[in-house]
Amino acid sequence: MNTLAVVFNAEFLRRVRSRAYLFGTAIGALLVLLVAFLPSLVNHASSNATKRIVLVGPPALTVPAQRLLDPDFEVVATLPRLSAKPTVAFLDAHHAGAVAVLARSGDGLHVTVDTRDPSTFPSSFASDLGPLEVALATGTSPQAVAAHLKVPIDVRDVAGRFENAGAADAAKGAAYLFIILLYLAVLLNAQAILTSVTEEKTNRIAEVLVSAVSASQLLAAKILAVTATGFVQLGVWIAIGFYAGSTLTAGVTQGDAGASAGPLAISTGEILLFIAFFLVGFAQFGVLYAAAGSLISRTEDIGSVAGPLVLPVVIAFVLAQLGVQLPNSPVIVASSFVPLIAPFVMFTRIAVTPIPAWQIATSLTINVVVAIGLALLAGRIYRVGLLLYGRPPSLRQIVATLRA
Amino acid sequence: MGSLVLSEVARSFGSVAAVRDISFSVPAGTTFGLLGPNGAGKTTTMRMILGILVPDRGTVRWDGTPVDLRVRRQFGYLPEERGLYGKLKVREQIAYFGRLHGVRPPNDVRRADLWIDRLGLTEYADRPCGELSKGNQQKVQIACAALHEPALLVLDEPFSGLDPVNADVLLACLRELQRGGTSLILSSHQMWQIEDLCEQFCIIAQGAVCAAGTLDELRASWPTRVVEVEPATPALRSMLDAVPGAHALPAASDATLAYELPASTDAAALLRALVAAGPVTRFARLEPRLHDVYLRAIGAAA
Repeated sequence: MNTLAVVFNAEFLRRVRSRAYLFGTAIGALLVLLVAFLPSLVNHASSNATKRIVLVGPPALTVPAQRLLDPDFEVVATLPRLSAKPTVAFLDAHHAGAVAVLARSGDGLHVTVDTRDPSTFPSSFASDLGPLEVALATGTSPQAVAAHLKVPIDVRDVAGRFENAGAADAAKGAAYLFIILLYLAVLLNAQAILTSVTEEKTNRIAEVLVSAVSASQLLAAKILAVTATGFVQLGVWIAIGFYAGSTLTAGVTQGDAGASAGPLAISTGEILLFIAFFLVGFAQFGVLYAAAGSLISRTEDIGSVAGPLVLPVVIAFVLAQLGVQLPNSPVIVASSFVPLIAPFVMFTRIAVTPIPAWQIATSLTINVVVAIGLALLAGRIYRVGLLLYGRPPSLRQIVATLRA
Repeated sequence: MGSLVLSEVARSFGSVAAVRDISFSVPAGTTFGLLGPNGAGKTTTMRMILGILVPDRGTVRWDGTPVDLRVRRQFGYLPEERGLYGKLKVREQIAYFGRLHGVRPPNDVRRADLWIDRLGLTEYADRPCGELSKGNQQKVQIACAALHEPALLVLDEPFSGLDPVNADVLLACLRELQRGGTSLILSSHQMWQIEDLCEQFCIIAQGAVCAAGTLDELRASWPTRVVEVEPATPALRSMLDAVPGAHALPAASDATLAYELPASTDAAALLRALVAAGPVTRFARLEPRLHDVYLRAIGAAA
């Protein structure tokens, strides 16, 4: 077994058995579930709270209104009139979130709604009752008006990227999810490299290791091992995401195109590109964190070097978020070529809009070349830094040491 | 088994010359003591032997070839400041370092178990190293350094921090490695242990060699010898006082005369003269200890 494989195995096992890794994976999994299920949970809670209503008014109004409100609202009771102003106790008694009093006003309709929380009362209530208002004013039947108000609109994508608006929304959802996962994976695992290198240096294991393994092999094995653990982590999260997606898809009604596309509506090609950018991004951050770890001698100093290194991750995260909405804005397009940031931003663009192949190839090439350059530089820093003890060296000292 | 040769090795850190000019050779199977005060350059020299540091000047050769990674994997190293993965279990830790030096599974675990047994660590084999006492951690580290049966084992202050019982365990392990033909290079401030264990010595100060050789060779350059004579009669005292260059020393008891004499003094002729002067019940010519030789070499270099 070659030394690289020995160190890789040991690093991989040590990492996946660590509490920090297991905890991070669990947190990420929870986040995925939260992103997948929170909207429906909120909707569900919201429907329970505010979509159960009591209609009050003459049957000439409440009967057509009930038809128009279905299925957005559940009418739990209809009453001809109220004896007093509705109270919370009244709503509790009817297990309702709101009371809507319907009355004629001139040749139209006037509605008064008493609800527990006016801020969460669905705006669709007014649009649902719109046909009734028109019907009263024109003397037509509400159903006929409602039928005429349903204008069939097909929103089409000229680039042929998405079948419909729902698919585009699903792609955005997937992009958001992947940005969060990449952000989490980079932060958790790059931080792990930093801690591991610093610990080995602090407790002098590094000296024993570099007497048997070359520093570049040691660094490479560490980066590979942490990348592999990142992949395992990501695999778990994606599997959970797909599971959540399929569960949601099974539960939605036909015609809800956005939801039926699933929260991870993404092609195999895009997944491969995501893996490529993930690898490149991981390698770039990994070597930087390892080099930084080799420059400090005490675990207490980890924060002082981790802070500046988190900055590009955060910038990339923010730009990627913007990229979901504005994938072709000049700033976003430019940043999709910038090393350290591109792995986040380019993937986001790929997920939400058609990108010319040359842009993807150029970005990937630039970032691979930079990753190799960073690895060579980090290798030198790592080799020298492993035996530097005392206070963290200044930038000038690092440059001088590298030139020596 | 091979031999190690250092030729005019030097290494600086910025403006500080840690090692200025060191040359010595360690023949195959020799136990070699590298001595010197703190900051003399011992650890830097050891790191250059192990390829952890590259010399600015000079060469380190093993069996006539430069020491590269392939050669280094035949070496073992016990650094002065001990380091183990605190969360890794004892057996796993020892086996891991064995694999790093080319011991393939399942031999890594088999040999780890042998060392665990030899060092009396059986009850800790499946415990994380961080839970062990300092002495037991040191034993684990020895096993990590020696599991692959190195051709050369470099030990930087192996006895520091060990209680007498554990120091004896370590000494026994080192003797076993000696018998197995492993070359040992060790630094230590415990002179009696190193004197007992090593066959050759190199005393360095301020990054340069100030004395080297076997203990007999080092003693040969010592200018005086101490003689002890009993009983402490006036006749014997006046005879010793008459030896050119003799100095009386405080004796261990009133019945003993102790004198420092030039090394060139003919001990046999002196004994005959003393016997002629009166009855002699004890005559001892004491050789200088490593400690004395060391202090003198360091003092001369200062």
